Amino acid sequence: MQETTRSELFTVPIGPQHPALKEPSHFRITVDGEIVTDAFVRLGYAHRGIEKAAESRNWVRNLYLFERVCGICSHIHATAYCLGVERLAGAEVPPRAQAIRVLVAELERIHSHLLWLGVAAHEAGFDTLFMYSWRDREAIMDVLEGLTGNRVNYSANVLGGVKNDVDDAQRGAILRAIDGLEGRSYHYLDVVTTDALFLQRTRGIGVMTRNQAEVMGAVGPTARASGVTRDVRVDAPYAAYDRYPVVRVVESAGDLEARFVVRMRELFECYRLIRYLLDNLPPGDLRGRMPRRIPEGETVSRVEAPRGELFYFLKSNGSDTPERIKVRTPTICNLTSVVKLVIGHQLADVPMILAGIDPCFSCNDRTVQLDEITGGSRIWTWDELRRNSREDGHGHRD
Amino acid sequence: MMPTEKAIEIGRELAERWSWRLETRQPEPTRLDVILTSPADLVPVAVALRVQRLGYLAAVTGLDRGPDGGTLELLYHFCHGAAVITLRLSVPRQGAVVPTLSDIIPSAESSEREIAEMFGVTFEGLRPAGYLYLPDEWPEATYPLRKDCTPPMLAGAVES
Repeated sequence: MQETTRSELFTVPIGPQHPALKEPSHFRITVDGEIVTDAFVRLGYAHRGIEKAAESRNWVRNLYLFERVCGICSHIHATAYCLGVERLAGAEVPPRAQAIRVLVAELERIHSHLLWLGVAAHEAGFDTLFMYSWRDREAIMDVLEGLTGNRVNYSANVLGGVKNDVDDAQRGAILRAIDGLEGRSYHYLDVVTTDALFLQRTRGIGVMTRNQAEVMGAVGPTARASGVTRDVRVDAPYAAYDRYPVVRVVESAGDLEARFVVRMRELFECYRLIRYLLDNLPPGDLRGRMPRRIPEGETVSRVEAPRGELFYFLKSNGSDTPERIKVRTPTICNLTSVVKLVIGHQLADVPMILAGIDPCFSCNDRTVQLDEITGGSRIWTWDELRRNSREDGHGHRD
Repeated sequence: MMPTEKAIEIGRELAERWSWRLETRQPEPTRLDVILTSPADLVPVAVALRVQRLGYLAAVTGLDRGPDGGTLELLYHFCHGAAVITLRLSVPRQGAVVPTLSDIIPSAESSEREIAEMFGVTFEGLRPAGYLYLPDEWPEATYPLRKDCTPPMLAGAVES
């Protein structure tokens, strides 16, 4: 038998242009024939210096900064930040505000899971499912827009509460949207568990055992698909999750199919929770009193983003700007598992396994951008950057 | 899963009564801070937490006490249910060397690379590789999240 020598291994660079999702990241995959023997990841292509920037902005402005860490789960970042700052300040947030935070967070989870379903189906070559799920996702985007005025950065949170109330018309719109989506979700669950061609791409692929998931520190639906019972909403209820408990969705197979099933089953839990929440919204104010000064101190704020546990560490030095804010997003935890899991698989399975964790690279890449080092390229000053971002073609400034 | 109070209690006992006899603090009901006295404590205490199944490494935070204070602080956050057990390790700003946890906790590697790039801490035993986050042409010995790293781009970034 001929032995494979080192020189016969081939390294395939994937990325940085959309390795699976339309976001930048670079993978170096070493293959022996079609079989992956090693994988290496390079991040940083969407590194924007947010943690550093936060140290020069005041507590109120930072809310808008952190809402923009991620374009998919913007609300959960703002919620994690608000909950942390409110704890540092010792501020009381009215129950109605906390309930509305949960409502928007669960709507966001629905839109994020449907978005992921489409992307993952697309990676499997199942573009019909991709188009259907993204069409259905529009129903939730419309609801979010109707509720908050925005499709993406909803800006529902303010320090000490929320901006928008839910009136009867909005309540009706939400219920109509999720009634329609519930039927569609049953259909999608049926498709991802019975379609023979699709199952060839998912069943038994990228299997992560419970033990592996724990050792590699997987979080969110990726971990729950491997039987790890980790869900911050249940383990450490924040906002109003103690009043509106969620049922943890756990599967044991640990393969890509289980990751589909967990996310689809979580959708039903979202629908149930939203209906219950709308029927039991506590009356009261939308905002509590927020002290102007944030006292010195440190706190940890953990929330369950659509992709898993989102971790914020906040340190205040008593001034108007934070001393340090650390953001650890769920994808960075789950990415370790991808790099280990792809080994031994066919190269063609790599995009599916990567998509299986629902990666979000903008979330991962946050921190710094220095411009001097780019050598010959032009350096924009902050003012120029602002001008260019604000002016439209007619020289109009807001 | 054991309840939060129990997890905190076991963590405290582990830190205070075992051979390393470390100081602990409880800044919030769900948080326990363990003050490590030297980098040599890090691996044994992390192994002890693993053996006791006290949480998983959720994040590693770097703190810069500023050029005057002269120290950096590394915070290893282990989460178990609602409990957050934080191992706090102070290291000098210049030439800090800390053992890697990636041999016992694979997910530590990405956090450690981030700290190495952003704060200039060397992790002993971390397999060599290029930057994870910073651009390839990044200047040497420039650690962006240190307090005295003030790129001209950020000057005047916030108008009053």
